[in-house]
Amino acid sequence: MMDCAQYRRSILADPHDPNPDLKIHRDGCPECPEYTDRLLRFEGRLERATRMNIPAAGDARVVPLRSPTAGASSRTLFLRRGWLAMAASVLIVLVVAGSLWLAAPGSSLAADVVAHMAGEPQAWARTDVPVPPPQLAVVLRDSNMRLDPNAGMVSYARSCLFRGHQVPHLVVQTEMGPVTVMVLVHESLPQAVRFDEGGYRGVIVPVAGHGSLAVLARGQKADLNAVRHIAGRVQGAIVWTAS
Amino acid sequence: MNDQIGGNLKRARFQALCQSLRPDLLRFAFWLSRDRALAEDVVQETMLRAWKAQDSLMDEAAAKPWFLTIIRREYARCFERKRLVTVDLDELIAREEPMLAAAQDQDLAELRAALFKLPEEYREPLVLQVLMGCSTAEIAAELKLSNAAVLTRLFRGRKQLRALCGEDTSLDPDE
Repeated sequence: MMDCAQYRRSILADPHDPNPDLKIHRDGCPECPEYTDRLLRFEGRLERATRMNIPAAGDARVVPLRSPTAGASSRTLFLRRGWLAMAASVLIVLVVAGSLWLAAPGSSLAADVVAHMAGEPQAWARTDVPVPPPQLAVVLRDSNMRLDPNAGMVSYARSCLFRGHQVPHLVVQTEMGPVTVMVLVHESLPQAVRFDEGGYRGVIVPVAGHGSLAVLARGQKADLNAVRHIAGRVQGAIVWTAS
Repeated sequence: MNDQIGGNLKRARFQALCQSLRPDLLRFAFWLSRDRALAEDVVQETMLRAWKAQDSLMDEAAAKPWFLTIIRREYARCFERKRLVTVDLDELIAREEPMLAAAQDQDLAELRAALFKLPEEYREPLVLQVLMGCSTAEIAAELKLSNAAVLTRLFRGRKQLRALCGEDTSLDPDE
């Protein structure tokens, strides 16, 4: 049986440790729940402290647009000029076509949501340990919202930088396994978008007056209708605390 | 033609991945180096190295540890190249004041200054856990430590940080 010192040592090392023994101790201890609440409040502030505003990438190239192998001799370039001109025109067409494809609001937003998933693979863990309510409240507060328990059990909650804004990134444990929810109050959509890319299937649904909601599941076999149903359930569980 | 389209899409996807990870990588580099200019250099160099080596990233789900490894190596290279001198902590905090400041929240600014004061051996695993969302095992793999050593550092780091912030630590356990 874990004692208070062992419990506190563990949560000081990892306040979100899902070890069930910690929960058993907390539930049966008269003092440790208050200690835990104080630590989690500190943890919420610490997380915000580490996420200072940083300058946007702006015009600075994040990655080079050209291959670094460019460096052939001028003679070779002269001989290849005709081919280069042809290749350039083809490339321009491809780049323009690619840009238009990426600029389509729904698909590019979906692509960014999927790209964001790569950064937090640990969020997809199947678990029955909910995020402590104070931590969830901190994550949702900046988006002026709270979540009704009808949404399902939230096992992961972080405030993430997405397209220049801090947005809630949640994982809800559902009948179809863990499902990610991103509340995108800054991203308006004229209509719902379904997507299936990069091993994720999901929907982005417009939320009147509050941007949109992205809900996605992992795996090629994920049932999009079920995802859509969960999106509706989560949307119905959101309580906006300010406009 | 199809190969070229595939290549362009792949590059666009990789660029989107870089863009989405860049803010947190820059924050991580800043907490590691405690120097905004150096952090920007390190991240820019990291992106270039990542771009050149993108084919070695087989699975996008592994992108974050992949980038973290590059960034830590790049920071170590900068450290060797520039032979960074030890500076006074208060001077360092004053120099990075614009980054540490938090509009309308003095509490956060103080917490950031306290984080600056933590020794690197505690600051780095703490930032990996809190900012980057790394598990104990991931931190252990990145820092080449045992899980137990990581937990000890996290425990000590959080305890010191709370004390530096004037939190009530009277109920904190000893080691």
